[in-house]
Amino acid sequence: MMDKITAFIRKHQTVVLLAVPLVLAGVLISMFGSRLLLDIYTYFCVSLGMVYGLQVFMGNSGILSWTHVGFVGIGAYVTGILVTPPMVKEMGVPNMYPALVDLSLPVVPSILIGALVAAAIAALIGYPLMRLNDFASVITLFATLIVIHVVMTQWDNVTNGPRTFFGLPQWTTWGIALGGALLMLLVAYWFRESGLGLKLRATRDDRYAAAAIGIDMVLTRYLGFVLSALMAGFVGGLWALYITSFSPKSFYMAEMFLLLSMLVIGGSGSVSGATVGAVVVTIAREGLRQVEATINNAHVLSFEVFGLTELVMAVLMVMVLIWRPSGVVGGQELRLPRFGKKKDVPAEVDGLAA
Amino acid sequence: MAMLTVENLEASYGAVRALHGISIEVAEGELVALLGVNGVGKSTTLKSIMGVLRPVKGTITFEGQEITNRSPEKIVKRGISLVPEGREIFGTLTVEENLRLGAYVGFKRDRYKADLEEMFELFPILKDRFHQAGGLLSGGEQQMLAIARALMGHPKLIMLDEPSLGLSPAMTDQIFRLIVTLKERGSTILLVEQNAERALEIVDRAYLLANGQIEHAGTAEEIKRKVDVASVYFGDQTDADSCEVSL
Repeated sequence: MMDKITAFIRKHQTVVLLAVPLVLAGVLISMFGSRLLLDIYTYFCVSLGMVYGLQVFMGNSGILSWTHVGFVGIGAYVTGILVTPPMVKEMGVPNMYPALVDLSLPVVPSILIGALVAAAIAALIGYPLMRLNDFASVITLFATLIVIHVVMTQWDNVTNGPRTFFGLPQWTTWGIALGGALLMLLVAYWFRESGLGLKLRATRDDRYAAAAIGIDMVLTRYLGFVLSALMAGFVGGLWALYITSFSPKSFYMAEMFLLLSMLVIGGSGSVSGATVGAVVVTIAREGLRQVEATINNAHVLSFEVFGLTELVMAVLMVMVLIWRPSGVVGGQELRLPRFGKKKDVPAEVDGLAA
Repeated sequence: MAMLTVENLEASYGAVRALHGISIEVAEGELVALLGVNGVGKSTTLKSIMGVLRPVKGTITFEGQEITNRSPEKIVKRGISLVPEGREIFGTLTVEENLRLGAYVGFKRDRYKADLEEMFELFPILKDRFHQAGGLLSGGEQQMLAIARALMGHPKLIMLDEPSLGLSPAMTDQIFRLIVTLKERGSTILLVEQNAERALEIVDRAYLLANGQIEHAGTAEEIKRKVDVASVYFGDQTDADSCEVSL
């Protein structure tokens, strides 16, 4: 029995290796860190959840998905509409459909419904998109993000248009954000190792060979896409309940670029890569933000410095793509090196039994 | 009755007609070769059988049922497996994952472990490389992995497309020996080879293709007797170079 448990943990040690430092960091920061640090940590956990969702589709299928942040937005808006008290909505979103104004649900069902709506929309639009490859798929997914964005900015009976949607309770604490990130970690890890995830990775490596061994590429991709949207919608709800007010531009290019840079820098091929990328980018971003603020406050320059963060992120991403195209972690999951029982691999390889 | 029957198969790549009516048969337990130089339609025939390429005309029957125009996934599930030319293994996936994917065709968990053991017996090197990425394997090892992956699905018919392509002579020997072993174990094999002389040493029957048609058909002995194999490859200049199509 003990043996089985040890074997199980050894097999899935990646999850432990990733989760333990995350939890530890959270506990330490909540005990000794400043309010600002805890805010950064909470925001980091939510971003991490989004990156895991992105990894599920993009990492395993190899298709660059710009749409992801759109699904986060759908989750956020649905949660916002369901959670915010009718009185606040009446005031904040004057044109809202009366049926929506009257809605009022507890937090947890709201988040779940938000996730389901995001997944349902992905399920509706996904199938034809999944038939496309290479540039065509990137461009259509990019266009899909624009479509989602336009709907968000124009449908002011639902989203309050380009104006801010506000009035959500701040329900997401650092602990809840961490819990959400861990849940997403488990889902992403499970998916990658599952039969479906393995098939999806096979289509990423070589779609013809995948077809030759009987994998239905479109269906496999489609299921990955819908799961990824479900995760995005879920985290979107958590994010909305942390930030409490947002507008459509919170779910557009800048945010998507940030998520992409996390995944690409860390390495999109593995859950470990997604984690490391999110850590690196968050630290770099917060550090650069401090530098920016310091320069501006000191008034040493005749102009204000801004956009430094984005600039450095872009350069960092280009550098990673040139020198380590598969990311810092490099496509494999993190594992402890094997001790003791290293097998002798014959130098001259004679593969067949004679 | 033949396990696989291909009748009057015609196929084309866009406007370029690659096959002009090919008819072949493979019976259960047989080892049959398709021979010929580059660009005569050997790989095209396999792709058409597999459903990767839609034939223009003709019928393909497998175990008494027509499979023409079926999707590759469905054809694989019926028990035909193609080991493609150039060893298209999944390079970023580990050896273990590659093998597991092969097994998904008719996935039976209880049989998976036993099948793996069998593969390790046939290909001991795969055991040593079990957790390595497929892309890190040498060419010969990748070819073995590709064959093992196909075997994991328990195909009724294995089609091998140029398994010796780009391998060292020693490795080529091993692959040919392996093909004989597979036949002895009862596999039905359709082999595509450029190395006609080597292939004729091991196969039961062979078809010799030229310009998208079958020029000769018969047992290995007959082909060897009737045809000066070397002349097919070097003799008449049917401008094989100019119409060389990389399939």
